[in-house]
Amino acid sequence: MIYDIRHITRFDYGAQVKYARCNLRLKPIDWPGQTLESYDLIVEPVGRTRAAHAEAGLAHVTRLVVDRPVRSLTIESRARMVVDRPVPMPSPSDPTLADVSALARSSRDLSAASPANYIFPSPLIPLDPAIAEWCAADLSPDRGALEAGFALANRIQREFAFDPTATLVDTPPAEAFRQRRGVCQDFAQIMITGLRAAGIPAAYASGYIRTLPPPGQARLVGADATHAWVLIWGGPQAGWVGVDPTNGIWMAGDHIIVAVGRDYAEIAPVDGVVLGSGAQKMDVSVDVAPLEEMVAG
Amino acid sequence: MDPSEDSPAQAAAWITAYRAAAGVDVMAGSNDPAWAAMLEELAAVASNLAHARERVQRHAADIGTGFRIIGETDERPWPVSPVPLLIDTGEWAGIEAGVIQRAALLETILADLYGPGRLVADGHIPAALATGSPYFLRPMVGITPPGGHHLSFVAFDLARGPDGEWRVLADHLRNPAGAGYALENRLAVSRTLGGLQNRLNVQRHAPFFAAFRAGLSAQCRRADPRIGLLTPGRFNPSYPEQAHLARYLGLLLVEGADLAAIEGQVYVRTVAGLKRIDALWRRLDPRMLDPLAFDSHSQIGVPGLIDAYVEGQVVIANAPGAGVLESPAVSAFLPALARHVTGEALRLPNIATWWCGGARQAAHVADHLDTLLIAPAFGPRPLGLPAGARPGASLSPDERAALLADMARRPQDYVGQEIVRLSTMPVVIGDQLAPRPFTLRVFAARDGEGRWTVLPGGFGRIGDHPEATAAMIGEGLWSADVCVHGAEPVAPVSLLAAPDSLHVRRNPGTLPSRVADNFYWLGRYLERGEALLAAIRVMLGNSIDVDGGAALDTRTVGRLVGLITGGGAAPHPDSLHRAALTQFARTAMEDEGFHSVARINRLARGISEGSRDRLSADMVRLLEAPFPSHVGMLDRAGSLQRRYAAIAGLSAEHMVRTTAWRFHDLGRRVERAIAVARATRLFGMAGASADDLSTLLDLANSQISYRQRYPTGLARVAVVDLVALDPNNPRALAYQTARIADGLSRLPVLSDDDMAEPQQAQAIAIRAAVETADARTLDADTLGDVERRLGLLSEAIARRYFLQGAEPLRAGGLTLA
Repeated sequence: MIYDIRHITRFDYGAQVKYARCNLRLKPIDWPGQTLESYDLIVEPVGRTRAAHAEAGLAHVTRLVVDRPVRSLTIESRARMVVDRPVPMPSPSDPTLADVSALARSSRDLSAASPANYIFPSPLIPLDPAIAEWCAADLSPDRGALEAGFALANRIQREFAFDPTATLVDTPPAEAFRQRRGVCQDFAQIMITGLRAAGIPAAYASGYIRTLPPPGQARLVGADATHAWVLIWGGPQAGWVGVDPTNGIWMAGDHIIVAVGRDYAEIAPVDGVVLGSGAQKMDVSVDVAPLEEMVAG
Repeated sequence: MDPSEDSPAQAAAWITAYRAAAGVDVMAGSNDPAWAAMLEELAAVASNLAHARERVQRHAADIGTGFRIIGETDERPWPVSPVPLLIDTGEWAGIEAGVIQRAALLETILADLYGPGRLVADGHIPAALATGSPYFLRPMVGITPPGGHHLSFVAFDLARGPDGEWRVLADHLRNPAGAGYALENRLAVSRTLGGLQNRLNVQRHAPFFAAFRAGLSAQCRRADPRIGLLTPGRFNPSYPEQAHLARYLGLLLVEGADLAAIEGQVYVRTVAGLKRIDALWRRLDPRMLDPLAFDSHSQIGVPGLIDAYVEGQVVIANAPGAGVLESPAVSAFLPALARHVTGEALRLPNIATWWCGGARQAAHVADHLDTLLIAPAFGPRPLGLPAGARPGASLSPDERAALLADMARRPQDYVGQEIVRLSTMPVVIGDQLAPRPFTLRVFAARDGEGRWTVLPGGFGRIGDHPEATAAMIGEGLWSADVCVHGAEPVAPVSLLAAPDSLHVRRNPGTLPSRVADNFYWLGRYLERGEALLAAIRVMLGNSIDVDGGAALDTRTVGRLVGLITGGGAAPHPDSLHRAALTQFARTAMEDEGFHSVARINRLARGISEGSRDRLSADMVRLLEAPFPSHVGMLDRAGSLQRRYAAIAGLSAEHMVRTTAWRFHDLGRRVERAIAVARATRLFGMAGASADDLSTLLDLANSQISYRQRYPTGLARVAVVDLVALDPNNPRALAYQTARIADGLSRLPVLSDDDMAEPQQAQAIAIRAAVETADARTLDADTLGDVERRLGLLSEAIARRYFLQGAEPLRAGGLTLA
C-alpha cells in the first residue's frame, strides 16, 4: 500500500513569541515493512532547520530555530510511504517470555534498536507496581512472547474505555490505569509498564494509521491524529513486532511508524522552548490517504 | 582557652585512654608518632577536647562554609572534626596509584561505550549494564568529547577495612562533589593547629587545584579561555561549595540562564554583551543541561548547548554521560575489565559485587542472601527493594519473598555486595576521643598535560554509630581533614608562580548580567530597608530635635504613615494613637506579608546567598545575620540600622570598584534618589511645618549638617536646598543623580559610535533637571516628575544590562488518540 500523509501542526500564541527553538520528529524512519518515498517539511512563517547531531531514540530529529517575532507557527510534514507488512503469526515454537527476557539481559547490541534499551523503566514510564501486577496475569514466563503480548493488548482494549477527555499528554500511566480510561498513549504506556516489569523489551512507537478504512471495515480509533502503540521484541528471529492496544490488533499494513523510543519524550513530534509571555494553542490535523490507483488495484 | 601546660603528657594520656576503647582503628593500631604529634598540637591549643572542637567549628563558620539539607531553607554550619585523619606518604602512594589506575580505566571504558562499543560487542560487558543506568545518555553515542576526555575530575569513596586494606565503595563521575569541603576543612584545621603542617610535612592542596585549572584550560581551543562553573543555582545543597570552588579556581560561576547557545557557539550574557565561553565545569545534572538534547522539561538548561558541544565549540567536564559508570552493577565487571583493558589487576579493589543480570551471579546472590547487602543495581529502587539497599539478613519473610519474586522477573535490577566493616578513627565526643567508623573521599583531576593527579588528602566522613558498616554510614555526621604526611619537607607553594593561576585575576568585562542584576537590587534593597527603618524610627519619636520624644504634630505623623504605607510596608493604621502606631510599626518592621523591613532584608539575604563568590566573608556575615530580636521595637530598628550602616561602610570602603560594585552603587543611588525626592515632596513643600522640616532632615540624615550650616533655625528653602539640591551633601538628591550619571558613563557600552545609550541619556537629563532647579521654586510637580523619570531610568538599566527572560513556554506535545 502507498500512503500520502499530511500532518499539520499549528501553534497560535497569545502574545508575540520572540524566539523559539524546537525539535521536530516528524519525518518517518525506515523500518522493516515500510519505506519513505518522498518527504517535505514546510515551516511557516519562517525558521532555520537542520538535522540534530545527537538524538536518543530511533527518530529523525530536525532542530528548528525561529528568531524573529511571530504570532503563529505552522509546521507541515508531507510524506509518501510504501507499507508492506504482513500480519504477525505467533507460533508455539516462539521463544517464551523467560527466553526473551534472558536474551535481552545478555544482549551484546548497544544500538538504539537493541532490546537491552527497552527493558528498564524510563523517565515517563516508571515500573508502577499496580500496573505490573494487573498485567502479570497475561505474562507467565513459559508463555510464547508474541502470543502473550497480543493477549495483554486485547485485555487492555477490552477493559479500558477510550476517552479523550480523561487524560492529557502528561498524565502518568498510573493515573490512567486507576481510571481505566484514556487514549492511545495511556494504553501504550500501561502495556509497556507491564511488559518491562516482566523483563520483556517493549518500545513506544508513534506514527499514523490510515484515516478511512477499506470498504466494509470499521474506521480505526485514532485515525485523525498521531497515534501511539507498542513494539515487543520477540527474540532474534521475530525481532520487533508491533501491537496496538487501543484497537487490540497487530501492527500491519495500516500502521505507519514515524519514530520509536523508550517513551514519549524520545519521540514527541514537536517539543522545545518558546520564549513568549502569552498562552499557546495547538491544533493538529493528520490525513493518511491510500493512493487511489492502489485502492482500485 | 587554657592550653595544656604539658602538651606531650596530655597527648599521651588521650592516646592511652583511646587505645582502651578502640578496636580496629587507624590511630590505636598505629605506631606512627605523627598521631601523638598531632594531638600535642591540639593540646597546645586547648587542654579540653570539647574546646578544641568548638574552636575548629568557629573557624569553619568564619570561613563561611555551610551546607543545606534538601527541603531546608537555612544553611547548617559545616561540622568539621578537630582531629584530622593522618595517612603517611607510603600508604598514600598505594592509594594514589590505585586512584590513577581507576580513573584511567573508567576513561577507557567510557570512550568505548560512547565510541566503537567493542567491550559490549565482544561480550566483556552486557549492553544492559549501560542501558540500565539513568545516566547513560544515548544522544552522546558516537560523539568525541571536544577536550578529548570524558573525565577531567573524579571522586571515589574509599573504605579502610579491618585488615587495613583500602577498597572503593563508590565512583563519583557525574557530580564529584566535596573538593570544596576538603579545602575548607584544611583551612579550618590549619587555623587551629597552625604548627601541624610544618611539623608533620603535610602535603598541600593548592598544587592539585592549580593543575586541575590548567587541565581545563589545556582542553580549550583558545589560548586564554573563559571557563565557567555551571551551577544549578543557590537552592542546590552544595551551592556554597560550588561558590567557594569557583572563587578559589577563578572560574566564572554561571547558571543556565546566564548562557546562550547561538549558531553552535556558547556565550555568557554579560553587561558588555555576549562573551564566548570555552569550557564548563558542570555541577548541573547532565540530563538538565539542554532541553533540546535531553529532558525537554529542563528549565535550568541551555537550549542548543549540546549541539555546540558536538560541534566541538565548548568543553563540558565531565562529559555528559560519564555517570553511566557510577552504577553499583559496574563494580561487578571492573576486576575483569581491569585485567582485559590494562593487563593488571585493580590496585584498589572494589567491594565485591555480583550483578544478578547474569545467571550464575544471580544464583550466588540467592544462595548468600543472608550474608550480602542487596542493593539496586543502577540507582532507581526496584520493586523488590522499595526502601533501597538492605542487608539480606535484615529482611522480614514477606520482604524476602517480594524481593525474590521480583529478582526472578527482573534480576538485572539487583546486585549483591559484600558487607564491608570499616576501620575507625578518633573523633571528639563530649570531651573525649572516641572511635568512629569513617570513609574517605579522594579526588583526581587531569593536569595541563592530560595526566591524572590526585589531591593529597581529601574529605573524611565520620559515621554516627560506633559500630557501622559501609552501607550504614550514609552521609555521616562529621567531616575530617585528611593529612598526607611524611619525612620529606614539603616545598612551599606559590600559586602566583604557577603558570596558569588565575587567583588574582579580575575580569570586569565578563560580569554576567544576572550578577549585575543581583548587585543592583542588593543596593536598592539595602537602601530601601534603611529608608524604611529611618521612617519607622522618626515615627516612633527618635528624633534629636529638642522636642524629640514628644509626639510630633499629627499632620506630620500622618505624612510619615503615608510614606510607609506608600511603599507597601504595612496597611494603614486604624488611628494615629500610640498603640495603633506601635502595631503599625511592628507590621512595617517584621510582617513578611507586606513589603516590610524583614521582607526586604530577606530579599537582600537571598541575593547574598547567591553571590558569595563575589562578596567578602564579612559582608556575607552581615547580610545573612539573623533578623534582630531585641524586645523593644526601637532597639530592633536601631540595631538593624547600624548593621545597614556597617554594610554600607564595607561596600564604600572595602569593595574594589569592579563593574559589580558599580551596579551595587547604582542601585543604592537610584533608590536613595527616589526616596529623597519623595520625602522632599511630602515634607518640604510650601506650608511645611517645623515638624515636617525636622522630619525631612531626619529622613535625609542631614540634621547635623543643617544645624552647623544654619544655627538660626529651620527655614524651608534652606532645608530643601540641603536635602534636595546641594551636590556636596551625600544624602541629597542632586548628589545621587550626579553619581548615577557618572556611574552609567563608566559602564560598558555596546556600540562604538560614541553616542550615549538610552540609560545614559536619561540619567544626564535627570541630573540636568536637578542641577538647574532652585530651592525657592522647586515644586511637587517637578519632584514627582524626577521620581517618575528615575523609575523609567531603572527600567532602561534593566533592559540594557539584565537578563530579560520572558517565561519560557514548552512546545508540548501532540493530540493523541
